[in-house]
Amino acid sequence: MEMVLTLFLLPVVASLFLVLSPNVRVQYVLSGAVLALLSITAFSLYNSPNILTFHFPQTLNTFVVAADIVLLLFFLYQGKKYDSPKVIILAIVQLVLFLYIEHASPGHSAQVVIDGLTKFTMEYSPSSTNSAEIVVDELSKFMFLIINIVGGIIVLYSVRYMEDEPVSPLKKQLFIGALLVFLSVMNLIVCANSLMLFFFLFEMTTLASYVLIAFRNDETSRANALKALWMNQIGGVVILLGALIAIKGFETVMLDTLMQRSGGWVLLSIALLAMAALVKGASIPFEGWLLGAMVAPTPVSAMLHSATMVKIAPYLILRLAPVIGSTAVGGMISIIGSLVFVAASYLALSRSVFKEILGYSTVALLGLMMALAAIGTKESIMLAMALMLFHALSKALLFLSAGVLERVHHAKNIEEMKGMVSRSPKTVGFIIFGFMSLTLPPFGLFMGKMFAIASVASLLHERPLLLIVVLSLIVGSALLVLLYFKVASALLASSSDVLPSQATPLPLGFGIPLWLLAFLTVGMAGGYIMMQQKMSVMVLALPLIFVILLPVIVRSMNGYDRSQPYHCGEKESFDSALVYYKPSHYMQQAMYWSFGILFISVAIFGALS
Amino acid sequence: MIWVWIAFAPILGGLAYGGERVLRARMQRRQGPPLLQPFYDMFKLLDKRTLIVHSPHALLAVAHFFILWFSIVAIFMGWNLLYIIFLHLFAQILLILAGYSVRSVYSHIGANRELLMLIAYEPILLLVAVGFYLESGSFEISEILQKGGYLTSMPLLFAALAMVIPIKVKKSPFDVGEAHQEIVGGVEIEYSGIFYEFLYMSRFLEYIFIYSFVFLFGGVSSWVGTVLVAGTFLAVNLVDNATARVKTADMLKIIYSIAMMLCIVNIAGIL
Repeated sequence: MEMVLTLFLLPVVASLFLVLSPNVRVQYVLSGAVLALLSITAFSLYNSPNILTFHFPQTLNTFVVAADIVLLLFFLYQGKKYDSPKVIILAIVQLVLFLYIEHASPGHSAQVVIDGLTKFTMEYSPSSTNSAEIVVDELSKFMFLIINIVGGIIVLYSVRYMEDEPVSPLKKQLFIGALLVFLSVMNLIVCANSLMLFFFLFEMTTLASYVLIAFRNDETSRANALKALWMNQIGGVVILLGALIAIKGFETVMLDTLMQRSGGWVLLSIALLAMAALVKGASIPFEGWLLGAMVAPTPVSAMLHSATMVKIAPYLILRLAPVIGSTAVGGMISIIGSLVFVAASYLALSRSVFKEILGYSTVALLGLMMALAAIGTKESIMLAMALMLFHALSKALLFLSAGVLERVHHAKNIEEMKGMVSRSPKTVGFIIFGFMSLTLPPFGLFMGKMFAIASVASLLHERPLLLIVVLSLIVGSALLVLLYFKVASALLASSSDVLPSQATPLPLGFGIPLWLLAFLTVGMAGGYIMMQQKMSVMVLALPLIFVILLPVIVRSMNGYDRSQPYHCGEKESFDSALVYYKPSHYMQQAMYWSFGILFISVAIFGALS
Repeated sequence: MIWVWIAFAPILGGLAYGGERVLRARMQRRQGPPLLQPFYDMFKLLDKRTLIVHSPHALLAVAHFFILWFSIVAIFMGWNLLYIIFLHLFAQILLILAGYSVRSVYSHIGANRELLMLIAYEPILLLVAVGFYLESGSFEISEILQKGGYLTSMPLLFAALAMVIPIKVKKSPFDVGEAHQEIVGGVEIEYSGIFYEFLYMSRFLEYIFIYSFVFLFGGVSSWVGTVLVAGTFLAVNLVDNATARVKTADMLKIIYSIAMMLCIVNIAGIL
């Protein structure tokens, strides 16, 4: 109980202190302490067996309703201010739907709120008090682990990152504070059981995206922020539609109650929620908002658009998995997710901005996680969870390293990063390590993918359509290998080691978070291997140990003479040639349309079955 | 006994490599080198002065060789087919990283090609593994070899595998990774002496690696397996003599359109 409250409140309190302290040292200490406290709390909570539930007092519910209306009005205002018809229309649709639901929901009387937020005559019918607004179960505890450990590390990193940002000190403090508050929102959303609370928090994450993408306040930032806003608003609209069906058909806004019902439109309601997951997970055709989000400062990309916020997508599918598992809706989500895995990996090959490449690979892997979660067997659910954890660690590491290259070496594009290893060996080491942790044994993400092949293959006889998932897994993984090591080709390429080193040291404020993430990646992978209880899996760890030990075994290579690379008599200067693969315009359009149709068909399948 | 096979795996592969050179020479009505030529080359390499560009580059070749050997160990011990494919992937990635780690145009182009080759054959190998799993109910080689009749139930998967063998043993039409007239040895270019020898021996191990997959199609009957390996060996060399090299991009297109289709049709047929 206290522990859960710590997770909800500590980040908010810490952010208040942080905003009040202009001293960088204090900021380091504060964020370090928050990281330690949150990790310990999340970890001990994870190890406690019981499921915790909380009922919201009426005033709190009223507050959520009021805050939600304010939030939607704010979106409306932003849409008007920056002249974006899409934002305006979606905000109005959301407002109408929201008020209608509040009006229709048993006992709720939102009119009161509109009347001026004065008369709180909130009544609750028994059906909505049956189950609690907040339910902390196994899945929530697992999500706490990801959010607080990875999120905490990113906050610590952002202190150093913001030092060099050319804005006023107050804005820097507000930025870090906002990241901390965001942690609270994330901690709440993964245990929200009431759909209306979930909707509110979902909109809060949309707001966080919007505000933080627009942080640099230039033209592209603003445009991309608005894009992120309207796309995520679609997610909000489908959640509201799902809630509307739940209220009308089953007189409940509680997810667990809804999931126990059968018949009627229950599957449509669930399917609509799953569609919100596809939007939040930036599945194609919605990947545009996540790609645009890369103009934001790097901690934002790491925190919101890779390690934590977008994890709402697989989380939501995991939450719904018991219901959609063996239905057509689940099948559709699996197919969409796995196709997104391949398509996004392929599209990434055409990009040259490092963060965009990482963004696309995030879209791809989120698709894979959703695909596995939607299959709904116990094994595939476990695999999706493992992928989520390891993806968060590896991607946070990669994004933070990208931030270092951007800050220290002013390189954003992989074309500018050629030969970076001689200028920044440690950072490049972290990046290569990150790539390896995403593709090679014995790291968690690789293991997850490998077990997924085996696990889905074992279901093929009963559900032949899953062949699409197996194929996508295999092809998509190969494409990701091509993608990552293509980038590696630009970073590596160092001269003979007789030349003096030109390396710039890695600042400690960047180094510590990176080392933490790297250690966690290795440690968790080790734990994951141990969990398998199969001795044979451990052999996959041997090669890595060998590679690490090799320089120690060989000790000194001074006995060998050095030479310069051979140029076959040609005099032209060296340039590592990067290859790009781009689908034709026609093909791209066809792809977007077909993904759009697949997206809508989720709802159709939900309505039909 | 099995450990003896494992220990001598590079020598076995070396014999296959030497035998292949003899076979190809005979197909072209040449005398060709002696069977033991690969080993003579090895001893010659040991005498050469070793020059390296930088130590990580040299060490990655050593790691590449040993991990490749480790994947051969896994094959002989009858372990999980997926582990074997991914151990091989790991070894290959180390070689590619080595190729990228020097400022040499040829090494970089070579590594690029190795990477493209990797993503061409790896999905096919995995799909073959999935096919074996669907037929035998296990990814473990020891259990796959308990059953038989794979050739009749997955002929198209066998055809797909046969299509990727030339990539792995660097034979026409898919010998882009070697292509010595174009890229002067590719990833191998900056190696010399003892470190080149490790790469040279890795090539022997690649033979064992890829032909083991062919052998698996024989299932419980090692006779069928041996005949399949011999037949494929002959066919690959025949094709090598009869075709010209295709471009890397075309290789990818051919594998992803034809071989992949064959796999999908076959697996869908099994289901």
